[in-house]
Amino acid sequence: MTEHPILAARLPGMNADALGHVTQTYGPADAPVSIALPKLDAAAIAAVAASVKTATRRTLKTYPVARIVDTLDAAIARLLDRAHPIRRQMDRLLPRLTGYDADMVGLGLTRYLMTFRKPELLRFLAEDFPNPAILDGFQPLPKGGYGRAYGADLTAHIWAGNVPGLPLWSLAAGLLAKSGAVGKVPTAEPLFAGLFVDALAEVDPALAECIAVVWWQGGEEAPERALLEAAELALAYGGNAALAAIRARTPITTRFLAYGHKVSFAMIGREALDAAKTAETARAAAYDVMRYDQQGCFAPHVIFVEAGGRSSPERFAGHLAQELQAFERTYPRRALSLGEAADVAAWRAAAETSPGGAVIGDPAGLWTVAFDDGTDGQFSPSSLNRAIRVVAVQRLEDVAARVAPYRRLLQTAGLACAPDRLFALSAELGLAGVRRVAALGDMTAPEAGWHHDGRFNILDLVEITEIDGRALPTADRLAAYVD
Amino acid sequence: MDQEHIIAELLAFIEADPPSDPAAADAAFEALALKVFAYQFQHNAPFAKFARARGKTPRTVKRWADIPAVPINAFKSLDLTCRPPEDCVATFMTSGTTLGGVRGKSYHATLSVYDASMRRNFAQRFMGGQERMPLGVLFPTPALLPNSSLAHYLDLARQHFGSPGSRHLIGPDGIDIDGLCQDLERAEASSAPYGLIGASFSLVHALDALATRGRRFRLPEGSRILDTGGFKGQSRELEPDAFYDALAMTFGVPRRRCINMYGMTELSTQFYDDGNAACPSVKSGPHWIRARVVDPLTGQSVPDGATGVLAHTDLAHFNIVATILTEDAGIAVDGGFLLLGRAAGAAAAGCSMAVDAFLKAASAA
Repeated sequence: MTEHPILAARLPGMNADALGHVTQTYGPADAPVSIALPKLDAAAIAAVAASVKTATRRTLKTYPVARIVDTLDAAIARLLDRAHPIRRQMDRLLPRLTGYDADMVGLGLTRYLMTFRKPELLRFLAEDFPNPAILDGFQPLPKGGYGRAYGADLTAHIWAGNVPGLPLWSLAAGLLAKSGAVGKVPTAEPLFAGLFVDALAEVDPALAECIAVVWWQGGEEAPERALLEAAELALAYGGNAALAAIRARTPITTRFLAYGHKVSFAMIGREALDAAKTAETARAAAYDVMRYDQQGCFAPHVIFVEAGGRSSPERFAGHLAQELQAFERTYPRRALSLGEAADVAAWRAAAETSPGGAVIGDPAGLWTVAFDDGTDGQFSPSSLNRAIRVVAVQRLEDVAARVAPYRRLLQTAGLACAPDRLFALSAELGLAGVRRVAALGDMTAPEAGWHHDGRFNILDLVEITEIDGRALPTADRLAAYVD
Repeated sequence: MDQEHIIAELLAFIEADPPSDPAAADAAFEALALKVFAYQFQHNAPFAKFARARGKTPRTVKRWADIPAVPINAFKSLDLTCRPPEDCVATFMTSGTTLGGVRGKSYHATLSVYDASMRRNFAQRFMGGQERMPLGVLFPTPALLPNSSLAHYLDLARQHFGSPGSRHLIGPDGIDIDGLCQDLERAEASSAPYGLIGASFSLVHALDALATRGRRFRLPEGSRILDTGGFKGQSRELEPDAFYDALAMTFGVPRRRCINMYGMTELSTQFYDDGNAACPSVKSGPHWIRARVVDPLTGQSVPDGATGVLAHTDLAHFNIVATILTEDAGIAVDGGFLLLGRAAGAAAAGCSMAVDAFLKAASAA
């Protein structure tokens, strides 16, 4: 049975019914989901952008940041309630849209949404602003004078479709910066952003008018140009080639922030491989590999395992294979496209035939552990979709040098080691370009307020208007109460 | 079995017409395929290791379809050969456009089987009953590209099927457009069929150059064109319909005589279609090669009508491995298969990353 198509877009101030739609069908043949994606030309995008800007000046710009936090918190509370109709829609539709296991999406979503509750949002603010009141009014600056932070009237968000929920990062940060948003959803997962706006509208309909969710066919330039013209700031996520194309279409007067290709890896010290801890370590590593089938940039491509522990790196690879097999039963991998399956097969063949290489694999290719005894020893990318290479190293201290050639791409290192090594290794990794060190098992769930790719979530979105330090003394001379 | 005997058997198999009874043809193919597998298992150590890791040995493999398919990626890291590379007369290499420029290699202990395979197949599938015709080759000579199987193939075509005046129309400086125009004019003036054969991208370059000059030709009835290999980023990319329309328009050769050859460095036998009046065309091979459509991860055949990855069992590739797993998507149809393009290299979504993108980014770092 097919359902009535679900509208992906949210177009404040516009009659969506008057637009033409593209209907895309997702999901398994026995439970398809039809999504209606409105066709917006450049003029329509410009109109939506104008409407968002008007609403933003009328409401969002007048709200104290504390009110925005409370509103977001209330919207997130609705989404954390698995009985709430909007959350139920997410739980029902996102797995079918993305192919990910329903339990994995459900649990992942809850863990993710929890990082956007009020306490966590306050942490976001505190990370970036010693005094968040600077978002509401002029505050003294350390150098003298006063400053106030202003977000753009309009921020363009161009999202990628690899992991459900991605738009929430930038939407929440944008709202805290009091910036209106026009967000372009990817064809792969066009639904989450609109459902989040629905939850916001239940709490504060006027605030929800400050966000539009739009879509156009990938590669269509005119609507994208219109959005980039209208926005003061553009945030774009995706592959480097796609980002380069977007940047080329961005006017010089629109600030452009790119969140491009990143890769992550894990490191396991011999102290995590004693008899009592090996299984736990392997489970944590398998969890990071399993989550969203390595589609996120914080998912490991390689696990460097130190020799000299009770379990050798090779035995650890065996443990890891067992844990992946266990996860396959609880959170099965999504069905792969032919292209993805061919990529895994090619990766597997390369691993198997490389000198010093061996492969432990599920016969149906649901997961693959490649083992490298150190003959090659280098960092190399995975085909993703639960394909992971275990590389034996003599010392974890040797790893930073091996990943350093890829410094522009590095993001997270998942570490399992003793505390005395944590800081020393992190110092080397930071020098090599790694921007987040996490415990093994936490790689794919960054904490609230983390510095995304080493940058500031809200601070990067604002500009400071400052009152020169000499302005007040000069103004003082003009005060009525001065003799 | 030793090399001399396997070669003799293969040459006889290629030369003989296959049994008209399909069951007998299947049995004949199977019998020789298992001999070739046993030969390769015995003499090709990396392949034997690969097969053993899958529990496939001459004792356990009873059907040709059970011969393990070697992914073409493995040709980059393994020396898959029954004879030591230094004893081989030719080494054909892939162009090395992926995986950091590492090239896959096929070592040929002799070209006698490759050549016999090519000649019989080309005569049947391209020549249309003629013994020879003037052939223009839009590809460099083997002297310029000694490791190119396509250069060898096309030169073999020129030598064995070209009448006097057949020649290469690409030199170190690119396409000889003046020479091409002269040959096409001469062919137009005669009433004898002419054959233009070469890389798909070279034909695009020729189309573009002729369009710049405003030249079009009407080649005599029976003339034909062979393209192969796709565009590979070497020319602009055309949809198949646009490409064959342009060939028909520019050379006056109807699309049904524009034949696409599908071959690979990792094979010694080629597949052809019967013209491209409609695209995608059905590809098929001679009786010593068989194609299956498989799940790339399990190697099992997909259900009829489903899309999968092509695996080929080419008995003529006797010195290397008989069965390869390609990265080409295909679908089985009556009389052969449809080639649907590259299956691998799926673009990684979002901020995660595909292998090729990684290598590119790292080389820039």
